[in-house]
Amino acid sequence: MTEVDDSAEQPPLVRIRGLRFRRGSRWIFDGLDIDIPRGGLTAIMGPSGTGKTTLLKLIGAQLRPDEGTVEVDGENVHALSTPDLYRLRMRMGMLFQSGALLTDMSVFDNVAFPLREHTHLNESMIRKLVLLKLEAVGLRGARDLMPSELSGGMARRVALARAIALDPMMIMYDEPFTGQDPISMGVLVQLIRRLNDAARITSIVVSHDVAETLGIADLVYVISNGRVVESGTPAQLSESGGDWTRQFIRGLPDGPVPFHYPAPPLRGDVLGAQR
Amino acid sequence: MIELFAQLGGWGMQALTRLGRAHLLLLPLLRGGLDILRRPRLLVDQLFSVGVLTILIIAVAGLFVGMVLGLQGYYILSRFGGETALGLMVAASLVRELGPVLTALLFAGRAGSALTAEIGLMKATEQLSGLEMMAVNPQYRILAPRFFAGIVSVPLLAALFSMLGVMGGWMVGGGMLGVDKAAFWNGMQGGIDFHEDIVNGVIKSVVFGVVCTWIAIFQGYDCVPTSEGVSRATTRTVVHSSLAVLGLDFVLTAMMFS
Ligand SMILES: Nc1ncnc2c1ncn2[C@@H]1O[C@H](COP(=O)(O)OP(=O)(O)OP(=O)(O)O)[C@@H](O)[C@H]1O
Ligand SMILES: [Mg+2]
Repeated sequence: MTEVDDSAEQPPLVRIRGLRFRRGSRWIFDGLDIDIPRGGLTAIMGPSGTGKTTLLKLIGAQLRPDEGTVEVDGENVHALSTPDLYRLRMRMGMLFQSGALLTDMSVFDNVAFPLREHTHLNESMIRKLVLLKLEAVGLRGARDLMPSELSGGMARRVALARAIALDPMMIMYDEPFTGQDPISMGVLVQLIRRLNDAARITSIVVSHDVAETLGIADLVYVISNGRVVESGTPAQLSESGGDWTRQFIRGLPDGPVPFHYPAPPLRGDVLGAQR
Repeated sequence: MIELFAQLGGWGMQALTRLGRAHLLLLPLLRGGLDILRRPRLLVDQLFSVGVLTILIIAVAGLFVGMVLGLQGYYILSRFGGETALGLMVAASLVRELGPVLTALLFAGRAGSALTAEIGLMKATEQLSGLEMMAVNPQYRILAPRFFAGIVSVPLLAALFSMLGVMGGWMVGGGMLGVDKAAFWNGMQGGIDFHEDIVNGVIKSVVFGVVCTWIAIFQGYDCVPTSEGVSRATTRTVVHSSLAVLGLDFVLTAMMFS
């Protein structure tokens, strides 16, 4: 928890102001304000389909917002020139929900890929670094497998090793825990915390695994319907317990969080003749 | 009625914006060529999967087309007692027309569709997004090497096609039908003009190589990132490439021989 306190004087690493983003006619974000403190582990939680993945893509400037700004390390990512954006991305790691490994390369080559693209290290140095990163995720023995030979959980751990290969200043984790068995889940939770503390990497964890996420986060934002509905430390959240958070954390079906994607009333829809 | 026009207009606009995006993609593809100069390895890997793996189908097709030309040519020519012109006829039709055109069509079916499916699946499985987030531009790193590999491969494959075609024609004409072998070669060597026939054939196959590979890469990169989207894009690659090759062949031929 100390990280958040130290960095209170520093400006946040990521500052999102008045973000609005639309898919078709549906507003996914409608005036979102988020600060991600430097060196902290910030969790972003929310029900499936609220746009958590979309938010990470907006931070990485893969998508453009309709309104509002996203600043990373003081720079508005959507106003950067392409070379500057790429320089910034070299310092951001991202763990995709699907892993996004390159399927025509072995596990080893996947982890070595960013090193080979962006550094001039020789092969023996690359080998050492790759094996260390793979060791950290417990997959040093799987270095010669191809991505098609990995399970979903293993693929995500390889992707994590690749994301930390360049020692970025910040890592965005998209659902790191889904598909992990209890043991690798525990290891991953520890690993994410350790990367954050030891290397002072700022972490953004997107997840709906409530217990794990609350267990390691310094700061939690809960988003729903395109806005932040609550934020604070895990302790504050479990205490304050706004309706929204209580429902989400306990997993209750009834409450302010809609379980359904927006739709007309069921009765008319099912019994009516129109489609 | 108005709806029909609106629909047609909508399709027209879609086709035009797609054409625009395809042209916008050309710039990064060419710019990516600079990276290849620095890392030729990228191109070599693609030359293998785009070019070398297409050799077999091109070789077999060339041989058979040449053999058929030998038979058909003999049938016509022998009616005028002109069997000795068989070599010239086979070689000229291969080098000027059939070599470049059939190679391009086979290339679109074998390598173009594979390129589209590969790139489309990379898009659907977020590999391209992943590259972008690793600060690697997929247009330079993935698309450009494939583009140049296609451009280099097609003329070479067309040359192979024509060469094996001539062999096929010679085997049928000289071997089976008993055309004088020396006359076969002499007629060919005397009648084929380097500039008129060979250079023009090479120009055609370079143009076809650019167009087929460009279409394949664009369709993959622009596809809807789902299984259905990739399968549609693959079909479009083959259809568009084939039509483009046949249409351009007419235009180029008209320009060259006018
Ligand atoms: N390419 C797209 N085109 C149109 N709508 C999209 C597209 N991608 C996502 N959406 C919509 O955007 C919304 C947010 O999607 P997103 O993937 O960001 O959700 P998420 O919060 O990450 O969900 P999950 O927890 O299930 O991963 C979804 O409701 C989805 O319908
Ligand atoms: Mg998601």
